[in-house]
Amino acid sequence: MDEFRKTDISPDEIKSVLEVLDPDGERPRNVITTSGLNLRFGDQQILSGVNMDFPRGTITALIGPTGSGKSTFLRTLNRMNDKVRGFRHEGDVALEGRSIWSSDQDLLDLRRRVGMLFQRPNPFPMSIKDNVVAGAKAHGIAKGKQLDVVAETRLREVGLWDAVKDRLNDSPYRLSGGQQQLLCLARALAVGPEVLLLDEPTSALDPLSTESVERLLRELTPALTLIVVTHNLGQARRVSDNTMFFYEGKLVEHGATNDLFNQPRETNTARYVNGLMG
Amino acid sequence: MTIVTQSYPKTSWRRFKASAFRVMTLLALLFVVGPALWLVLGVVVRAVPNWKWSVLTTLSQGTSGGLENAVVGTLVIMVGVLLVAGSVGVLTGIHLAELAPARKNGKAGGGLFRLAVDVLAGFPSIVLGYAGYVALCVALHWGFSLLPAILILSLMVVPYIAKSTESALRQVPTAYREGAEALGMTAGYSLRKVVLKSALPGIVTGLLIALAVAGGETAPLLYTAGATNSLPSWSLVHHPISYLTYYVWTDYNQPSAQAHVVSYDAALILVVLVLTLLVVSRLVVARTQRHSESFR
Repeated sequence: MDEFRKTDISPDEIKSVLEVLDPDGERPRNVITTSGLNLRFGDQQILSGVNMDFPRGTITALIGPTGSGKSTFLRTLNRMNDKVRGFRHEGDVALEGRSIWSSDQDLLDLRRRVGMLFQRPNPFPMSIKDNVVAGAKAHGIAKGKQLDVVAETRLREVGLWDAVKDRLNDSPYRLSGGQQQLLCLARALAVGPEVLLLDEPTSALDPLSTESVERLLRELTPALTLIVVTHNLGQARRVSDNTMFFYEGKLVEHGATNDLFNQPRETNTARYVNGLMG
Repeated sequence: MTIVTQSYPKTSWRRFKASAFRVMTLLALLFVVGPALWLVLGVVVRAVPNWKWSVLTTLSQGTSGGLENAVVGTLVIMVGVLLVAGSVGVLTGIHLAELAPARKNGKAGGGLFRLAVDVLAGFPSIVLGYAGYVALCVALHWGFSLLPAILILSLMVVPYIAKSTESALRQVPTAYREGAEALGMTAGYSLRKVVLKSALPGIVTGLLIALAVAGGETAPLLYTAGATNSLPSWSLVHHPISYLTYYVWTDYNQPSAQAHVVSYDAALILVVLVLTLLVVSRLVVARTQRHSESFR
């Protein structure tokens, strides 16, 4: 141990070595970039002029009152809105520099790389194990015995393995709400996503489950990039690196979470983060 | 405080209304259960005292003899209807619920198709039977035989299956579909692995009703299947085929006690057949639904 302490390599040198070794080093720093994004349903403008970068390995919280457009924004990133009647978009969303709407972007592959967790846990009507591997099976990532490995790895990753290892063939609906949400998270992770979109992932959960989900979210970075819609301002402060504040169809302000909460530049942001506006 | 309590009806009046409603629902239930029990018991009481197992292994001879040919014939017809009407009906239901493009106002699409299904459901069975006789047995020279019988019965029950499949699919929670979509499953994969699984009880119920109706139907078969004392042959056309309801109907109208025995035997076999169908399908459904949200 002492030999290591005596080393005279400077922190800067270590950093430069790490940068060379970084497997993501060659890739663009921003996983998702939106430029001039306008969203509307029919004649109703939902969101206008959103320019935003989501750096790799960070957690971004999307906050704002109900109807401010943050959920619509989130669901646009993996094209869940495309089939909604009257949905129109202008501007662009790029995943690693390539438009998600470009013809050579395969929709199924986009959804594999950009996963999603919903407000209410939505396990499929199949056994716990089948739930975890459902996506992996659909994408042909694993088959046969490999599926058991995938199931165990992902259930361990979300901290559910010990609770369910003896009842893998049970119905997922016998689990508690929090466990169901963790199961859905394991299912989303099993297809190997790079980005996870989370739509109020803990709003249907009790405080203890919320805490374990939040802890997990922190552990998932920097391997994954997370974008979280939340109504829980405390949660945004606790888990996110950056925060975007939406209000009345506009991205009012965004920045490092600490700055946005402590020194908001806009009056509306200040009012919202201080609880003066719901 | 007094204002609030006074705005509610009196407790005794609420209790009276609650029990009155309960009595009404019970009476309605009795209206269904009563005749069902009466019919089943009526058949059992008349058939069982004269029951001989040889009925199942002897061919019929006019209005006497056994029912082997009719039992096998009915089973063959039911299997045929399950294959033809089952596939056509389920596929129609899937199209109406999943594939027909929605209308401009956002309501479910496939309006004309759905209307056609409803029109078909409204036809009296004897009209279908006669149309089948004219079009299939006579015009196509198929004669009284299995194929026209299966086709006409299928035409008759397809609406039930299509309707129940469609409504079962519509009741599948959006959360399942969204979850499947967000995982990057194709529409077809999610339909097969997630959506249909959750719609299965509804679909099976539709199939069951359809099969029971097909097994118990008489009028269209009188026009298309004909009657014979021999077992069904492998040929789909040109050979008449026997079925149980024929004996229930014809033998009961004969003036001999022996014929009446055969008639009640046929009715009893039919009842047992349908009940078995019900039980088996419920077991199958329970097995496939053990992971569903409602079954904990």
